[in-house]
Amino acid sequence: MRYTPAGVPAVEFSLRHESERDEAGAKRRINAEIAGIAFEAQARLLAKASLNTEIELHGFLAAKSRRSKKLVLHVTNVEFIEGD
Amino acid sequence: MPLAKLFDYSVPAGMEARVGDRVVVPFGARQRLGVVIESGVTSELPAARVKPIVALRDDAPRLPADWLELMRFLSGYYQRPLGETVISALPPRLRSVKPLPRKALQSASAPWSARFVPNHLLNAAQARALDRMASTAGSFGAFLLHGVTGSGKTEVYLNLIARVLARGGQALVMVPEISLTPQLEAIFRRAFPETRLALLHSGLEDIARTASWLDAARGDAGIALGTRLAVLAPLPKLALVVVDEEHDSSFKQQEGLRYSARDVAVYRAKLAGCPAILGTATPSLETWHNWQSGRYERLELPERAVPGARLPAVRTIDLRHASLQQGLAAPLLAAMEARLKNSEQSLVFINRRGYAPVLACEACGWTAGCARCTARMVVHAVGRVLRCHHCGAESAIPRACPTCGNVDLKPMGRGTQRVEETLAAAFPGARIVRIDRDSARRRAELSHALEGIQRGEADILVGTQLLAKGHDFPGLTLVGVLNADAALVSTDYRAAERLFAVLAQVAGRAGRREQQGEVLVQTRYPGHPLFAALARHDFSGFAESQLAERKSAGFPPFVFEAALRAEAKKLDTAMGFLREAAARARPPAEVRVFDPVPHLITRRAGLERAQLLMQSPSRPALQEFLGLLTTRLFELTPRHVHWHLDVDPIEFD
Repeated sequence: MRYTPAGVPAVEFSLRHESERDEAGAKRRINAEIAGIAFEAQARLLAKASLNTEIELHGFLAAKSRRSKKLVLHVTNVEFIEGD
Repeated sequence: MPLAKLFDYSVPAGMEARVGDRVVVPFGARQRLGVVIESGVTSELPAARVKPIVALRDDAPRLPADWLELMRFLSGYYQRPLGETVISALPPRLRSVKPLPRKALQSASAPWSARFVPNHLLNAAQARALDRMASTAGSFGAFLLHGVTGSGKTEVYLNLIARVLARGGQALVMVPEISLTPQLEAIFRRAFPETRLALLHSGLEDIARTASWLDAARGDAGIALGTRLAVLAPLPKLALVVVDEEHDSSFKQQEGLRYSARDVAVYRAKLAGCPAILGTATPSLETWHNWQSGRYERLELPERAVPGARLPAVRTIDLRHASLQQGLAAPLLAAMEARLKNSEQSLVFINRRGYAPVLACEACGWTAGCARCTARMVVHAVGRVLRCHHCGAESAIPRACPTCGNVDLKPMGRGTQRVEETLAAAFPGARIVRIDRDSARRRAELSHALEGIQRGEADILVGTQLLAKGHDFPGLTLVGVLNADAALVSTDYRAAERLFAVLAQVAGRAGRREQQGEVLVQTRYPGHPLFAALARHDFSGFAESQLAERKSAGFPPFVFEAALRAEAKKLDTAMGFLREAAARARPPAEVRVFDPVPHLITRRAGLERAQLLMQSPSRPALQEFLGLLTTRLFELTPRHVHWHLDVDPIEFD
């Protein structure tokens, strides 16, 4: 966890996704990875999560910066998925 | 009064008001303090309009004739009204119509002796310089004491002062910054334990400063030690003037009477018929030029005073190839690590205080600017504020970007606080001390910190030029320089001169004992001739190349300059005033008047500023022209514009 100059906690992380979806009549295996960022309460929650924890995140996508069009997931809600 | 004239008053019967007396006079509806400049003359005004002096203040010595002559010179040269010049040269308490409290009136109770306790024996070069300067005692002479860092200039001053005191004379010693005086004061008190010392600087309380001034003015103090304002104190037995670190820009006053205390010091020595000594490792190009043209005599101290101590080895680190950790290059970090292992001190010099000079939003490009200045706000981690280094405005760091709402605002670049943070992470356990104007708000804090460093209670120092000057840290063997490049690409023609001076000074902190010091300069221009000259410790080579450039470009010291500056709510008003002034100027052939231009930092503290530069190869021609110009400007009395004239300006931002 880091802090912005105004003292807002922030966490940057990488989110990996694996699933299967229907696509054009076939089962499509999906692998994706996206950079994410969370602030404040969401940052505190994520900071506690250990690597490879399963979570469900809600948020929005925004460009990384003016110079980079790479998308970053900005987290607005975190849910930990209870393991079985 | 800020009016370019004298006012007439009658002397009531029974009052003995003479030239140089402070008097209380009616002025408009109020009473004000005045100084008698002429007496025994008949006023041209009708007798009924000449009001009588209300009271005479004899609580301080009468201002001596030679001091008034100095004031006349200052008023004429810097184009300020005489009344304003005289009053602003007095200490605060003596400007008031109220008499001094009785306690302050007491003169020195015990007579002092000139006993001198030498600290070291002088080496051959020091002794030569001393003998040469002492041989001119009793007559004017201007000397450039050009000694490398650590060459023992102070020891030469002390010996010279001892000779002056022994003959009953007073010595005036000026140093650049208040921060330097605690250390220096201790050295002086140790060397002259029974001599009265008058401390004169703006950091003193009004009462203490007035008492010191009185000590100096009465001739009770053998030594007057202070910053630039010390040059304005009356010293009836003045027999020696010393300006230490003469190249320092703080000797130039930047408001009111914009005098150069270094130049005034030389003039004072001339008035008093005594030697003036300008000491430095890196002379100002003006002083260097004065030596070359035969006006000053140069005395050299080419070696460090401590036997065996050598000048540090200076090397550059090429930033285009080095790997960086938060702005610190790997070779510098490695060198610091080695110092830590050997229990030696290192210093990281970065001439920028605060955490980061810019707060930016990477999403939309917004940066935090000052509402009142054309400048960015500096991020300060201590107290989490944004601060404008131009007007002092302060505001909380915004939580989110005011234009796009992005919370993730980023500090860009680095200042002392960020370097301190980086070093703390790189060297856990190391004792890191940061020294800048924020860490040392009060004089006592700074001298406390400096003493701690000298005792070895720090491993790594991070600091601005506050750390560069004059200090002697025996355990320091490594100096790292960050951010030197800005000055290399600056539009200010003095930037290179200043950079060389500050780097030579800060490099001079390293290896002042047996151990040779090392200086590592991080730069993108490792081949720059300035760094090569620095590595050779070749000031004269550097000065020659700079002077050649100045000569071909027609810059000082080959021409003399003055700047007329105006500030107003709107830039147009300021520019309009300057255009009007330029139109009325009618300069003679030897004087060149340029077009008015806005300042680089146009807005400052809510006012917009512009300036008009004037140049001449002839100082007298420029002076005569400025006198005429000032008279016309006083007639203009523009509305909504503040203006001032800066003679021999050194700052143009």
